[in-house]
Amino acid sequence: MAWLTSPLAIVIIVSLVVGLVMVVLFGYTSDQKAIGIAKDQLKAHLLAVRLYRDQIPVVMGSYGKILRGTGRYLKLAFKPLLYVIIPITLLMVQIDRYLGQTPIAIGTPFLLTVRATSSDELGWLNDTVLDLPPEITMTAPPVNIAAENEIVVRLVGSREGKYELKMGPPGQSVTKSVCIGDGLPRISTVRLRGHFWSRIFSSAEPALSENSPIESISINYPDRDIDIAGYGMNWIWLFFILSMMAGFIFKELLGIQI
Amino acid sequence: MKRLCGADTLVRLLGSSTRRRLCVPFADKSVRATRFVLIAIILFPAFAHAYAGPGAGFAVLSSFWAIFVAFLYSFYALMTWPFRQLFRFLRRRNAYGKATFERAVILGFDGMDPELADRFMKEGRLPNLAKLRDKGTFSKLRTTFPAISPVAWSTFMTGVNPGKHNIYDFLACDRNSYLPYLSSAEIKGPKRHIKIGKYSIPFGKTEIKAMRKGTPFWHWLGNAGIFSSVIRVPVTFPPEKFQGVLLSGMCVPDLKGSQGTFCLCTTRMSSDKFREGGVRVPIERKNGVCRSYVPGPDNPVKEGAGEVRMEYEIRPDAGVKSARFVVGSEKFTLKVGEYSEWITAEFKAGMGFTAHGICRFYLKEISPEVEVYVTPVNIDPGHPDLPISHPVTYSIYLAKLFGPYATLGLAEDTWALNEHVLDDDAFLAQAYGNHEDRERMLFDALDKTKQGLCTCVFDTTDRIQHMFWRYLDEDHPAARDVPHSEHPQVIQDLYQRMDRLIGRVMEKIDDDTLLMVISDHGFKSFARCMNLNAWLHQNGYLALKDGKTESGDWFEDVDWSRTRAYTMGLNGLYLNIKGREKQGIVEPFEVEALKGELQKGLNGLVDPASGTVGITGVFIADNVYRGPYSENSPDLIVGYGAGYRASWDSVMGKVTGQIFEDNTKAWSGDHCIDPRLVPGVLFSSHKFIEEKPAIVDVAPTILKLFGLALPAHFDGKPWTLAAKAH
Repeated sequence: MAWLTSPLAIVIIVSLVVGLVMVVLFGYTSDQKAIGIAKDQLKAHLLAVRLYRDQIPVVMGSYGKILRGTGRYLKLAFKPLLYVIIPITLLMVQIDRYLGQTPIAIGTPFLLTVRATSSDELGWLNDTVLDLPPEITMTAPPVNIAAENEIVVRLVGSREGKYELKMGPPGQSVTKSVCIGDGLPRISTVRLRGHFWSRIFSSAEPALSENSPIESISINYPDRDIDIAGYGMNWIWLFFILSMMAGFIFKELLGIQI
Repeated sequence: MKRLCGADTLVRLLGSSTRRRLCVPFADKSVRATRFVLIAIILFPAFAHAYAGPGAGFAVLSSFWAIFVAFLYSFYALMTWPFRQLFRFLRRRNAYGKATFERAVILGFDGMDPELADRFMKEGRLPNLAKLRDKGTFSKLRTTFPAISPVAWSTFMTGVNPGKHNIYDFLACDRNSYLPYLSSAEIKGPKRHIKIGKYSIPFGKTEIKAMRKGTPFWHWLGNAGIFSSVIRVPVTFPPEKFQGVLLSGMCVPDLKGSQGTFCLCTTRMSSDKFREGGVRVPIERKNGVCRSYVPGPDNPVKEGAGEVRMEYEIRPDAGVKSARFVVGSEKFTLKVGEYSEWITAEFKAGMGFTAHGICRFYLKEISPEVEVYVTPVNIDPGHPDLPISHPVTYSIYLAKLFGPYATLGLAEDTWALNEHVLDDDAFLAQAYGNHEDRERMLFDALDKTKQGLCTCVFDTTDRIQHMFWRYLDEDHPAARDVPHSEHPQVIQDLYQRMDRLIGRVMEKIDDDTLLMVISDHGFKSFARCMNLNAWLHQNGYLALKDGKTESGDWFEDVDWSRTRAYTMGLNGLYLNIKGREKQGIVEPFEVEALKGELQKGLNGLVDPASGTVGITGVFIADNVYRGPYSENSPDLIVGYGAGYRASWDSVMGKVTGQIFEDNTKAWSGDHCIDPRLVPGVLFSSHKFIEEKPAIVDVAPTILKLFGLALPAHFDGKPWTLAAKAH
C-alpha cells in the first residue's frame, strides 16, 4: 500500500481520474455532432490529397481546406476548453505544490533569495535580521546583488521538518516556510507581495503585506523527477501522457468525439 | 544564480519566451496575468490545451497531426509530380495529345425513356435537355438483348455484346440444380476455419469473384494515363483496379449478402411472409417501452447460431406522435412518417468479429400498434467490410466528406413499396434522399476531374418509373382505385428534376468537355403478367409431378424427366438439354428444332383477355450473342409486348394455372420486354452523326475521342463527331 503514496502512483491515479472526468466534461460541453463532422471533413480532405495526387490543383485545394478545417475544428474544441481550463489549471497548480519539487535534503545547502521592491529598499534589506530556527543554519554571509535588488543567503537544514524563517526588523518581520527532509510535503517555493494571479500559480503561502518593502522571498527547491525506466521525468509530462492515454481509452469506451 | 521566481513547472511548459516574462519582476496588475493566460491559450494552443485536459489536448494534437500529414502528402505530391509526369510521358507520350476533348462527362439516367423525354421537351418542361437536343444530339439509343440494366450497362462499359461480358440477367441458372445465382459476382467466405470449441474462426479473406467479363473502357483510358471518376455504374462490384476512382453500383449486396432485405418491426402478430425482399420482426412491448431488433448477417464464427442481431429500443410518445429510439450508442427521435438519418449498425458475432453496416429507421405507426420500417442494412461506406470502391479509401473519402450514404446496389426499396410496407411518399423520400447523395458525389467528381472521364449513373429514374408508371396509364390495374384526375405527376416531376440536374452540370462545363446523357433502356407499362412456365406446362414442354397442377418456387414439384423447357429470370428461356442440364432430356440433335418450335409457338402470342399481342419477338440466343461466354446464355430470349412482362411467379421459377393475369403491384412499369420497344436515350452537348446509335458504341466512341486505338474485340462502332464549336 505504501506504493500508492509514491509520486508515480499519485500521478497515475490522478491522470486516470482527470482523463475520465475531462472526457465526460468534454462530451457534455461540446457540440459532438459538429466536431464529428469537422473531423470527418478533415479526414476526407486528407484522403483527397492521396486519391488525386496527380492533380496538383486538387492537392493544393485540399491542403487549403485542411487548414480551414483545422481552424474550424480548433474553434469547436475551444468552447469545452473554456469549461475545463480553470478547474484543471487549479488542480494542476495544487498538485504541483506536492510533486513539482522535493524538500531540501538534510545537510544540503540551499539559497534563500529576498528581493526588495526597489533599490531604495536595499538599505532596509541590508539592515534586516534573519531569525533562523535551531535546525537551520547559515553557511555563508548574505550576498547583496544590487542590480537585482536582491539579497541571497545560503542555508542548510539539519533535521527533517517544516520551519519558518523570520526576517526583517522587529515589528516588521516576515516569514517564509522551508521544508527539510523528504516525502511529499506541500511546498511553496516563493512568497509574494500582491500579484494575485502569480500567487495562484506560484505560491502556497499568504501574500506579504502590501506595504512590505519585500517583493518576494524564494527558496531554490530542487525539481522532483519521477523515475520511469531509468529516465527521470517531471510529473507534468507524465501526467500529460497518461491523461491523454486515459482520455483516449475513455473516449472510445464512452463513445465521445474529441 | 538560478532563478525560479516561483513560476515552476507551468512556466517550463509555456516556453522560454513566456518564462522570461515571468522572471522579470512580477506585473503589478492581475489583469495582465489574466490576459497572459488567454493569450497563452491562443498563441500556444498545444501547450495550453494540453493543460486543459486530454480532450482539448487530443483536439490540438489531431489538428497538428492533420496539418502535418497533409503537408507531408502535399510535399510528396509536389516533389514527385514532375517525375511522375515524366514517367508517364515516356511511357505513353502525351495522354491528351490526340484527345478531341479534355474531359468527357457521361451521365447515366437509368431507364430514361426517349418518348417521354421527347414529350416533356415538347411541353417545354425540360429546357436543359432541350438545349442539348438543339445544340448537340438527341436520339434513341439501341439497347441490349435483353433490355435489362446489368446487361445493358455491362455492354456500355465493355463495348461488347453479352456473349463477351457474360451478363444476361440479374440471375443466372445453375444447370445442375436448376436454381438461380447472382450473375454479377460470387462471394465466398474464407476457405479455412480454426475450430475452438463451439466457435469456428474464419481464417483468410472473403473471396469475391467478378462474373462480369470484359474490360471497362476506363481501364483503357487509365492505361493511357487518362484519369477517370466512375460513380455507381451498375455491375462494377467487385471493384477492379485502374487509374482512377470508382464507387460500385447495382449488384453491391447488403450486409446480409442479399440484394436488399428490408425489415418491418411490428407489434401486429402475423404469420404472413413477404413474398419479396423483406422480413417481419416482432416488437415486444413492456411498460411503455418497445424492444425489437434488426436482423444482420449469419454468425460467421458460431456454427448454427443463425443471424446476428442488433437490438434497439423504442419509447413511443403517442401524445406528440413521435418515438425516441435508442440504437446502440445513438439516440434520436422520429415523428410518425419520418426517416432517421443513416444509423451505424454493428453486428457483434463474438470473438471480436463485428460486421459494420448502416440503416435508416422509418416510424410508420405509433398507436394503437407500433410499426417501424428499417431499410436493408447497407455496407458501411466509412468502414466497408467488403470492397465497394477503388481504391478502398474512395468510399471512405465520400463518407467522410458527405456523411454515410446508400451503398446497396438496389438502394431504393421497391420491394417495401410493393408489399405496402412503405407508401408512395415514404418511398419517394427514400429514393430522392439517395439521389441527393449521388448528386453531391457527382459534383465533387466534376470538381476533382478537370481532365479525363467523369461518369455517374443515377438509378432514381429507373426505380421511380418502375413504381409510379401506374399513374401515367389511363387504366393501370395497380391504380384503378385512384381516379385518373388524382394521379400524382411523379414521373413528370422526376424528369424535370433530372433536367435541373443537367442544367447545373452544364454550368460546370465548357466547350472542351463533352457531356453525354444516356440511358440503358426506355420504359413501358407493365399492366399484364405472363407466366411463361404456365404456358410451357400447358403446352407440354414442362411437366409437373403426378397429381400437381402448380409448382412451388424454383421448380419445386417439376418433373425434370419429362420437362423439355423452363424459364427463370426476366427474359431467358432454357432448354433441358441432355449432357448440359443435370436431368436433361432434350437430345442435342433435337435442340434446333425445339428452339424453332418454341419460337413459333410463342411469337405473337395473344392475350385472350385483351386480344393484344403479349410476345412480339422470341430471339434465338445463337443469333444475338457471339463470344466466349455465349454458352452461358439462355437458349431463347423472350421479348414481351408493350404492357406485358414475365409474371412475378414465372421469374421465380413457379408454375401457376393461369398464363395471363393483371399486375396489381406498385411495380407497374418495366423494360424487360422486346428490346426493340424500349430503346434508351442519347443526349450530347456536341453533335454526333449516327443514324442508329447503340449503347455498345459508347465505349469505342469515348476511346476514339480521347485518341486511343480501339481494341479489336469491340462490337460497337465509334460515332462521328459533326464538328467542334471552336
